[in-house]
Amino acid sequence: MRLNLKADNIFLFVIIRILFPVIAVCAISFAVAEWELRESWYLLILYLFLSLLASFSPISTLGAKLTLNSAVIFSALILFSKEIAMWSAIVEVVVIWVTFKSSWEKALANAGQILATVWLVSIVQTGLVNQQIPILLQDSILIIIFWFTNTLLSAIGIQYFNNYPFKRVFYSMMKTGSTGYLLLMFIAGMGTRLIQSFGIHAIIPLTAVFIAMAVVFRQYLSSHRELENKVQEINQLNNSFLTTMAAAIDARDPYTHGHSYRVAYLGKLLAEKAGLSEKEVNDVYFGGILHDVGKIGIEDEILHKKGKLTQEEYERIKQHPVIGYEIVTRAGVFPELLAAIRSHHERIDGQGYPDSLKGEEIPTMARILAISDAFDAMVSDRPYRDGLSIESALERIQYASGTQFDPLFAELFIEEVKKMVESGEMQEIIEKTKKNVAVHT
Amino acid sequence: MFLDIIVISFVVALIRGGRLKETPTFHALPFIFASIALQITSGFIPAWGGVLVSISYMLSIIFFYYNRNYEDMRFFIIGWGMNALAIWSNGGKMPIDLSQAKKLGISLDPLINGTDFKHNVLDSSTNLAFFTDIIYMPFPMARVISMGDIFIMIGAFLLIQRIMNKPLILKHIREGKNYAPKS
Repeated sequence: MRLNLKADNIFLFVIIRILFPVIAVCAISFAVAEWELRESWYLLILYLFLSLLASFSPISTLGAKLTLNSAVIFSALILFSKEIAMWSAIVEVVVIWVTFKSSWEKALANAGQILATVWLVSIVQTGLVNQQIPILLQDSILIIIFWFTNTLLSAIGIQYFNNYPFKRVFYSMMKTGSTGYLLLMFIAGMGTRLIQSFGIHAIIPLTAVFIAMAVVFRQYLSSHRELENKVQEINQLNNSFLTTMAAAIDARDPYTHGHSYRVAYLGKLLAEKAGLSEKEVNDVYFGGILHDVGKIGIEDEILHKKGKLTQEEYERIKQHPVIGYEIVTRAGVFPELLAAIRSHHERIDGQGYPDSLKGEEIPTMARILAISDAFDAMVSDRPYRDGLSIESALERIQYASGTQFDPLFAELFIEEVKKMVESGEMQEIIEKTKKNVAVHT
Repeated sequence: MFLDIIVISFVVALIRGGRLKETPTFHALPFIFASIALQITSGFIPAWGGVLVSISYMLSIIFFYYNRNYEDMRFFIIGWGMNALAIWSNGGKMPIDLSQAKKLGISLDPLINGTDFKHNVLDSSTNLAFFTDIIYMPFPMARVISMGDIFIMIGAFLLIQRIMNKPLILKHIREGKNYAPKS
């Protein structure tokens, strides 16, 4: 649940621009004041190099850029003291500030975020040590807290600086980045204890593990990317199929081509206004482009006849939804668009064709396209009559609402068209499609 | 002071195929020249050493600030900051660790007597001891450096790569893309 936007922003502003930097400054001052052992200088230098190295060794996972440095920070925390951990954290913050040339505010907020995490984890650590919890259990608990706090606070920062909704950022970070993060941390924890027990040579297997992990992640990531590319390719192929069909319709009957784009465009606007999902809205659009594809199978004399049609000819034209349905079924792609093609001439009262579907039996897509199809047919000039004015067309839609058209969609449609006429957008679309320029979304 | 690092950086850049064709643009160049000049002067006038070095530090931070968009400059800023903190919290001179300085093999008398214009002795009353000259670096030229100096050396190395038109793009390294720079 999102708060009112203004309250949201002030709240965030206080946290990011004031609280985090304050935490950073406090953490650093306390650390500097409490701690000055000469023996530790070598630790500082060692961890300087470790952190510099770690900050430039990325492990890319799906969600986040995983920094090896969390492992270094954690190792400092459990082996030595929170001051060294904070030092490592600060080195990384500096590296990020340099590498990404970010602003002071971001660097300070980042510092606050990671130092707060270290601080919190060290407090819990003291508590656990006092309770004499077994060491490896301690480590595991601390890892979970570290990971969770770091993710939470980073998400707040990312949300603030990029204006993304918090829930989406947080959930996506948890979902995609967590496996890698936790894997890294647990290996770091175990490796650190290994070094503690067996001495510096334990760094050899530890390094091997880290390298192997980086390689595995890279492979995983690259195969994931390949998959994404394949999906993209398929989408493009589908789109070229659509374009081909649309071009075929145009070759057959130029009127229908411009008409299809207008029906698609208006249908899409109506679907958006009715609050359909993004996928459904796109389906309406593509359904609109293809809805009259069956006209390809209708003979010229009937399609282009200047006068009124005979009963026989009318029955023949009424077959175009089924013809279109057969064509697209045989192609084997776009099963979701079949409804639009077959049922766009159905009526709510069940007196439509080809299947005499009633009310809710008619798929949503078809109900939407029925309206925009009828509207465009009314306002367009035909071989046998001139086009109606937009107001008359809207009146007729209003009149047929509930019998021929879905009342809810009809009402939204009328509202939408009135708005478009006022803003001049309607004229623009008619001009574009008359010149057979597709109205792109 | 860091002549050997500078030379090594140039050699590395040459090996990577860089050439001194066109130098990248820097802002506020006069400041850095003035700063270097002051440092050199302070060597000749030890009595004013502290003041001149302090002024030189001020000028160089102005130069770094105006160029802070370059990554190498930011490293200089960090290194400068560390050294400045250490120097200013210790009476305008950089404390140096005696046990490390002994390894240098030069006379330590001016240091112990307090007449050395740049350094004083590290002892228990030194503030921020971990930012002072405590690291002994035997190669290529033996010296005792501080952590700030490490950052400054990194900055100098990157800067020279950039001057020779072979910049190391840190962002790519960090993201694990290619190590080859784009230029």
